[in-house]
Amino acid sequence: MNLQKTLHSGRAGKTWIPFVCASAFLFLGCAKPRTQVVLMPDADGGVGVVEVRNAQGRQALDRPRQSVQVVGADQAPGKPEILSDARIQADFGAAIAAQPKAPLHFILQFETGSTTLTAASRPLIGKILEAIQERSPLDVGVVGHTDTSGSDERNNLLARQRAETVAQLLVDAGADPAVLEIKSHGKAVLLVPTGDQVPEPRNRRVEVTVR
Amino acid sequence: MTIHRFVTGFLVILMAGFPLPAVAREVVGSIRTLQGPVFLLREGAERDVTRPERLLEGDVLRTGEGGSLGLLLKDNTSISMGPGSRLALEHFQFAPAQGRLGLVVRCFRGTMAFVSGLVAKLSPDSVKVETPVATVGVRGTSFLVKAEEK
Repeated sequence: MNLQKTLHSGRAGKTWIPFVCASAFLFLGCAKPRTQVVLMPDADGGVGVVEVRNAQGRQALDRPRQSVQVVGADQAPGKPEILSDARIQADFGAAIAAQPKAPLHFILQFETGSTTLTAASRPLIGKILEAIQERSPLDVGVVGHTDTSGSDERNNLLARQRAETVAQLLVDAGADPAVLEIKSHGKAVLLVPTGDQVPEPRNRRVEVTVR
Repeated sequence: MTIHRFVTGFLVILMAGFPLPAVAREVVGSIRTLQGPVFLLREGAERDVTRPERLLEGDVLRTGEGGSLGLLLKDNTSISMGPGSRLALEHFQFAPAQGRLGLVVRCFRGTMAFVSGLVAKLSPDSVKVETPVATVGVRGTSFLVKAEEK
C-alpha cells in the first residue's frame, strides 16, 4: 500500500525524474566498454609490474592478484583492489586452464672455438628428442649464443654453425627438420650477464627450446 | 555523396578488384592448447581451427561459446583465451641480434591470460596489450585481461 502510494504521488509530483536519470546513468554506465587487468604471481613466485594507461591517466599494479578496472576510454583507470582466488577463478578460470605448458629449455655447450659438443652435453640430444616426441611441437628453437669477447661477426658465424650442428644431430636422431628454427642471437641474450669483451664460456652455447 | 566519399568508395572497389599481392608474413608462434569452437581470421577470411597450427603476424583469433585456446610465441610469450574472446596478434618482431624487438596484441573482448617472454625481458617498452579503453604496458610478468565491449 505504502509503495503504491509513493508511486502514485511520484507520478503526480514528477519525483520520477531522478529515477529515470539514475536508470539512464546506470544503463549508459553499463554500455561503456570496460577493461579489467589483474597482475598474477610468476611461476617462480616472483611478481612483476604492469601499467594500465589511457589518455586520462595511468595505474601501476605490483602486488599479486591486484586488479584495476577501466570503464570507458574517457575515464582514468580506477582504484586498484586485491581480488580473491575465487573471484579470479570465476572470471578467468577458462583462460588460465587453457595456458600452454611452459616451453622446455636445453643448454648445450661446445669445446672452445669448435662445433664439437662437450662430453657433458652429448646426452642432451636424446633428451631433446624425447621432449619433441612427447610434445609434438610445431616450433623448436635451435639458437646459437656467444659471449661478448671477440668480433661480433666471427662470433655470430660460430654461433650459427653450432646451431646448425645441433639441428643436424637432432635430424639424424629422427627429429622433423620442418619444425626446427635455426638462428643466432649473437651476444644479445646472455646466460651469465657480463660487460662487453668478457670471455665467459657459459655464454657460448646453443639453446634448444621445445614449445 | 561528397568527393571524399566517392574517392574512398572508388579506392575500395579498386582494391577489391586488384588485391595486393600477399606478403609472406612472419610466423610468430603456434597453437598449443585448443578446445573448439575456435576461429582464425587471416587474409580477410575466417575459418574453423580444429588442430594446432602455426600463427602469422596479423592473425585474428576468436573463441566461441565453450571454446578456449593457448598459444606460445617464438620468444616464449604465452597467451591463452577463455570462451567468447577475440584478439589480434598485431605485431611481433623477435630478432635480438639485430636489436629488432616488439609485441603488440589487441584484445577486442573476452578473457585472456598472458605470461610475457623474451621480448618483454629484453625490451619492455616495446610490449603492449591494447584493449578498447586502455593500454597495458608490461615489465616481465604474468597477468590477466578482461575486455567487455559494453
